[in-house]
Amino acid sequence: MFYVINLLIYAGVDAMACLGLSQQFGVAGVTNFGFIIFQAAGGYTAAILALPPKSANGGFQSYIGGWSLPFPVPWIGAAIVGGLIALPFTFLVGRRLRGDFAAVGLLVTAVLLNLLATNYVPLLNGDSGLSLIPQPLQGEYSPQSTGYQWAFVAVALLLAAGVFLFVRRITESPYGRTLRAMRDNDVVADSLGKNLLSLRTGMLVLGGAIAGLSGGVLVSYITTWSPAAWGYAETVVLFAAVIIGGAGNHVGAVLGAVLVPVGFEEVTRFIPTSNNLPPNLIPSLEWVAIGLLIVGFLWFRPQGVLPERKRVIALPPGEGKSAPDATLASVWERPRPPASRPAPAGPGEVVLEAAGLVRDFGGVRAVDDVSLQVRRGTLTGLIGPNGAGKSTVLAMLAGTLPASAGKVIYRGQDVTGVPAFRRARLGLVRTFQLASEFKRLTVMENLLSAVPGNRGDSLRGAIAGKRYWKRDEAAAIARAQVILRRFGLEGVANSYAGDLSGGQRRLVEIMRALMTEPSMLLLDEPMAGVHPNLARRIGNELVALCNEGMTILMVEHELAIMDEFCDPVIVMAEGAVLAEGTMQQLRGRSEVVEAYLVG
Amino acid sequence: MTVFLASIGFGLVTAAVLAIASVGFTLQFGVTDVLNLAYGAIMIAGAFIAYAVNQAGTSVWLGLAVAVAACSAGSVLLNSGVYTPFQRRGTSPITMVIVSLGMTLIIEFSVQAIAGGTGVSYTMGQGRTFHLGGLILTTVQLVIIALSLVIMAGVHTLLRYTRLGKAMRATAANKNLARNCGIRTSRVITITWALTGGLCGLAGVVFAMDSGSFDPTSTDVFLVLILAAVFLGGPGQAYGAMLGAAVIGIATEVSAAFIPADYKYVAAFVVLLLMLGVRPAGLLGARA
Amino acid sequence: MKFRTLAAVLAAALAVGMSACGSSGSSTGTSTGKSSGPTGSTLTIADVAPFTGPDAALGPTYLATCYGATMAINNAGGVLGHKLACKTVDTRGDPADAVPAVNQLFATTSSLALVIGCTSDEAASVVPIINGHKMAMFCMTGQSEFDHVVFPYFYRLVPPDLEESYAMVAIAQELHYKRIALAFGNDIGSQTFIQPAIGALKKAGITLTTNQTLDLKASTFRTEAEAIIQSHPDAIMTEALGNADPTLFAEVKQLNGGKMIPIVATSAAISPPFFKAAAAAVGASTFASDFRADNLVTETSGPAYQAFSAALLAEQGKVPGATGNFTTYLSAPGGVHLYDGINLAALAMIMSKSTSPSVYAPDMITIGNGVPGATVVHSFAQGAAALKAGKTIRYEGPGGPTSFDSYHDSTGIFQVDTYSASGAVNVVGNLTADQLRALSG
Repeated sequence: MFYVINLLIYAGVDAMACLGLSQQFGVAGVTNFGFIIFQAAGGYTAAILALPPKSANGGFQSYIGGWSLPFPVPWIGAAIVGGLIALPFTFLVGRRLRGDFAAVGLLVTAVLLNLLATNYVPLLNGDSGLSLIPQPLQGEYSPQSTGYQWAFVAVALLLAAGVFLFVRRITESPYGRTLRAMRDNDVVADSLGKNLLSLRTGMLVLGGAIAGLSGGVLVSYITTWSPAAWGYAETVVLFAAVIIGGAGNHVGAVLGAVLVPVGFEEVTRFIPTSNNLPPNLIPSLEWVAIGLLIVGFLWFRPQGVLPERKRVIALPPGEGKSAPDATLASVWERPRPPASRPAPAGPGEVVLEAAGLVRDFGGVRAVDDVSLQVRRGTLTGLIGPNGAGKSTVLAMLAGTLPASAGKVIYRGQDVTGVPAFRRARLGLVRTFQLASEFKRLTVMENLLSAVPGNRGDSLRGAIAGKRYWKRDEAAAIARAQVILRRFGLEGVANSYAGDLSGGQRRLVEIMRALMTEPSMLLLDEPMAGVHPNLARRIGNELVALCNEGMTILMVEHELAIMDEFCDPVIVMAEGAVLAEGTMQQLRGRSEVVEAYLVG
Repeated sequence: MTVFLASIGFGLVTAAVLAIASVGFTLQFGVTDVLNLAYGAIMIAGAFIAYAVNQAGTSVWLGLAVAVAACSAGSVLLNSGVYTPFQRRGTSPITMVIVSLGMTLIIEFSVQAIAGGTGVSYTMGQGRTFHLGGLILTTVQLVIIALSLVIMAGVHTLLRYTRLGKAMRATAANKNLARNCGIRTSRVITITWALTGGLCGLAGVVFAMDSGSFDPTSTDVFLVLILAAVFLGGPGQAYGAMLGAAVIGIATEVSAAFIPADYKYVAAFVVLLLMLGVRPAGLLGARA
Repeated sequence: MKFRTLAAVLAAALAVGMSACGSSGSSTGTSTGKSSGPTGSTLTIADVAPFTGPDAALGPTYLATCYGATMAINNAGGVLGHKLACKTVDTRGDPADAVPAVNQLFATTSSLALVIGCTSDEAASVVPIINGHKMAMFCMTGQSEFDHVVFPYFYRLVPPDLEESYAMVAIAQELHYKRIALAFGNDIGSQTFIQPAIGALKKAGITLTTNQTLDLKASTFRTEAEAIIQSHPDAIMTEALGNADPTLFAEVKQLNGGKMIPIVATSAAISPPFFKAAAAAVGASTFASDFRADNLVTETSGPAYQAFSAALLAEQGKVPGATGNFTTYLSAPGGVHLYDGINLAALAMIMSKSTSPSVYAPDMITIGNGVPGATVVHSFAQGAAALKAGKTIRYEGPGGPTSFDSYHDSTGIFQVDTYSASGAVNVVGNLTADQLRALSG
C-alpha cells in the first residue's frame, strides 16, 4: 500500500513538472532543455530551508543554509527560487537565437550545473547530496503512519490540481493566445507588437516556479536529494512525457506524466529477470524504447495522444453594422485609445521618412543610401526588379532588420533604434511576404491576437481571470467580426488559419494587421500569388482604407498593380532609389524602363 | 612548469581527436542544417565495433577500418532514413534536436544492451614514450596527431580544390541556389554524410584508443566538447571547427594543471555558453 | 472538467498500484518464488542495491553471497521449517528511484525476513523506509551519517569511511612511505575519504604531495597523472570507481616511463570487475606487483572460512550477472560480511523461534557479541545444531568476531590485502585498533 502511495505522490510531482514544461514548451514554444535545473533548485532549496544547521546529525554533511524552517516555508521557498533561477536563462532564450542552438545551450547548462553541484562539496554536499531532510510537520505527526502518508498524497494531488487550474487559466486568456501565437511564429508576433523577451521571461519564471515546487514536494517525501536524481536523463523523460501526452494540452501533460515517468519506469520493475540475461539488459532496452517512442510519436502523431484543442469562439449574431457601409474608423471608436500613440497626422504630412538607409550582408551591400518619404493618406508603391532591395528596405522601416546606417523617422520621432514590437505599438505595422499566419490558431484567434491593449493580454491580467478581461475581449471580438464581414470571411472564422487557401490566408494577414489599429501599414507583396480578382478586391480595399486616413507603403513588383492602385510610386534598383512619381511619369523615364528590361 | 608543458602535449592529443570529430559534425550541420546530437552515439558504436574486431584476435587498426566503413553507412542511413523525411515535412529545428536526442538514446543504449555497461580496453601496445622538449607522448598518440593532421589537410584539399568540395560549400551556403545552379544537392548531401560518417567512426576509435578504458556512455561528455569546438569556430565552418578543436582541446588539459582537475571541462562548457550568448555565428562565421 | 481530470489521474494511478499489489511475490528474480504462509513456505532475503547504472557491479556481488549463504542454510535444514530464497531489488543507484523500488518490495513480498545491501548510493533514502517497516537490514554503506543516528533495525558490519581512511594511512605508515599523492573520484563514496585522509596524513607526519580529484565522467586523466608524477610521491592513495582508476593507472605508467607507482586503495578495489579492468589497463603482473588495499580482517583458513568458501564457490556460474572469479568474493566486503549477516539473522530466528525481525533482531546482538560461557560456532549448520542441543552460542564467521556497539555498528580489525597476478587475493598484514586511534582526529 505504501507502494500505491509512492506512485500517487510521484504522479502528482511529475504531473506538476510536466504541466510546467507543457506550459513553456507546448503553449509558449520555449524549449527549455534545462528544465530539470529548476526542479533541482527547488528540491535543494526546500532541503536547506528545512534542514538543521550543518553541524547537526553528526556534522557529516556540508551545505549552505540549514535554518530548520517549518512547513510550508520550504515549499514556498522552493517555488520562489525555482522562478528566480530562471532569470539568468533569458539571455539564452530571449534573444534571437535559433531554437536548436538555444536548446543545446540549455542542455549544456544543465550538465554544467550538475557538475558544479557534484564537485563543489561545501555548497550542497557534493555527490552524496543532502539526506535526513525533515519532513513537513514531522514534529507533530509520525511520518511513517498511514494517515500521514495519505495526507501527503492528498496534498500532492491537490497541489497538482491547483497547478493545473492555474496554467489553464493562463492559457485560456488573451495572454495565452499571445503565447501560442509566439510559438507558431515568433517573428510575426514580434511585428504585431508582442514583446517576445518579456513573454519568454514570464514563461521561464512561471515554469521554473512550478518545477521548483514539484522539486520541493518530492524532496520532502524521499527526504534526500543528490545530483544523481536530476541528470540529463530526467529531462529527456519529461520531454518524452509531454510529447507523448500532447504538447499544448494540459490534460495531455498530466496523461504523459502518468504514462511515462510513472507508468513506463515502474512497469519495467515487474518484468521477471531470468538467470541467463545480463542484469543491465532491461534498463538499456528501456532507454531504447523511450528513444523509439519519442521519434515514433514525433513522426506518426506529433500532436500527442491528446492534441491541443481548437478554441471555438462564438460570434455574436449579426446586427446593424454590415460590411459595405461600416467604415473601419467607426469601429475603432473606443473609450481608451492606446496610450503611446502620437497625435494623428494632418493630411499630406510626412508620416514615415527614411534618411540614408544602408544595409550590408557580409560583403554585399543590399541597400545603398536610400531616402524616401511617405505621406498620410497615400497608397505609396515601392517597386523594382528582383534583388533591388525593396523587402530589405521595408524590413528596416518596420524594425525587423537593423539598419547598417541611416535613420528611420516615424511621425517626427527617430525610431531607428526602436525594436519592431515597439514600432508596432506606435502604429507602424508590417505584413510578410511568405505565409505568416499563426497556423495553429483559428482565423478569429489570429485576428484577436493582434489587438493592442486587451487587459487580458498580460500575465497579471491573465491571472486576474476571465471577469477582468471579459469586456475587452467582447469588444475585440465585435471588431473582428466587422472586419471578417467586410472581407467576406466570417464563415471560416473558426477554422485553423493553416487550413485555408493561399488567397484566404493573405486576407487573414491583412485583416490581422488592421486589427492592430495601425496608423501606417507596410505591406510586403500582399498580392503575390493571389488570383487577379482577389488581388483587385484587396487593392480596392486598400484604396478605401487610405481614403479613410490610413497610410500604406506597399512593395510589389507587378507593374499592373502599381498602375491601378498606387500613387506615388518609388522605384528601386540594385539597392538604390531610381526615381519617384506617378506611374505615368515613371513610364516616361528611360532608366526606369531599362531597369525593368535589363535588371 | 613541467606539468604545464606536458599538459600542452596532452592537449594536442585531445585536440587531434576533437578535430577529427568536430570537422565531421560541423560539415553535417553545414549541408543539412541539423545538429546531429547522435554523433557521439555513433562514435562510441564505432569504438565498440573496432573492439569486437579486436577481441576476435585481429589488430585494432583493422577494427578501425571496419568501424569507419560501418559508421559511414550508418550515418548515411540516419540522415536519409530519419532526418531528411522529418525535414521534408517542415519540422522545426527545435523538434529536429529532440529527434536527434531520441536517436542518441536508441543508438547508445542498443550498444549498451549488446556490450554491457562495464568498461573495456583495446588490446594494443602504446609504443615507446617520447620526451620532446617538455611534451610527453607515446607512439600511438603521435600517430593520432599525425592522422588528424592528414585528415585536416585532406578536408582542406577537398573543400578548396575539388568539384565535390565546391559543391559541398555551395550546398551549405544556399541549398536552393545550389540546386538551381545545377548541383545535384541530394547526391552531395549523401556523399557528405558518408564522408563525415566515416570521420565519426574514425574519431570514435581514436577516442577509445586515447582513453584508458571506455564504456557505451563515455562519449556523453565528449559530445559537449565537440559542440564547444564547433560553436567556437562557427557552426558549418570546417576551418572554424579545426580552430575550435585546437583551442578547446588544449584549454581543457592545460586548465587541469592549474585548477582542481575535476573542473577541467568547465572551461569548455563556459566557452560554449558564451559563444551561444554573444556570437552564435562563431569566430569564423559571417556576421548575421 | 477539473474533477473529471482529477478522477482520471487518480484512477490511472490506482490502476497501476492495484496491479502492483495484485502481482505475486515472484516478480523479480527469486530462485523459488513462493509467497508467504505457514510452515513449509519460503522466506525471502532481499538484495537492495544497484544492478544498473555506474555501480551496477555491486548488486550481483551481494547476490552471489546471498545464494551461497542461503544454499548452505537450506542444506542444513532451513530455518524453523522454512527454506530461504533471494530476491533482487534494483535501486538504479539513485535515491529517487530507490524509494519506489523498496516500496514495491514491501508491497509484493509478504515473506520478507531480511534486507541486505543498501549501499551509499541509496541508503539515505531507503534506510528510513525499511526501518519504518520494522525490517532488519545489513547495510554496506560507510556513510558516517549512520554512525550516530538511531535506526533500531539498521545493522552494519562494514567500517565507516572515516575508519577506512585511517586504515589507508596506517598502511602507508607501515610501508614507511613519506610522500603520498591523493587521487579520489568525485562521487559519493570516494569524496568522503578525502578530508579524513588529509587529517590522518598530517598526524602521521606524511607529506601530502598533491590532491587530485578525478571527474568520473572524463575519459583521460593525463594532466592529473603528470601532476602526480611531478610531485614525486612514494605512493598514490586512490578510490575512483568505474573506468577512472584503470585509466589513471594506465596513464601514470605511460608517463612514468613504463613504471607503476605503488598504489594504496580502499576495500572497494577488492572486487573481480575492478581487478579485471585494472589488469587490462596496465597488465596483471604489473598491477599486482605494487598494489595494496585495506580491508576488514577476514579469515583465510579455519572452519569458518572453509564453510564459507565451500558455500560460495558452489554457486560459481549460477548467479545471474555475477561473473568473474568467485574466489575474489571470499575477501570482498560484500561477500564476507553479508554472509555473516545472513547467518546471524538465521541463527537468531531459530533462537527466538520467530521470523519476525522485531522479535529476532535483538538476538542477533546476543549471538554476535556473545555471552560468557557461550559455545563458539563457525557456520550455520554448527550453530543450528548447538541451539537444538540447548546451548547458548556465539557466531564467529569468516569476518571474524563481531562487537556491535549501541548503534549496531561493528567495526572490527583491518588487514592489508594484495592481488596475485591471477586475481586471487592475499592477506599480507594486519592493522590494530590502536594504530587507527592514533590517526583519528
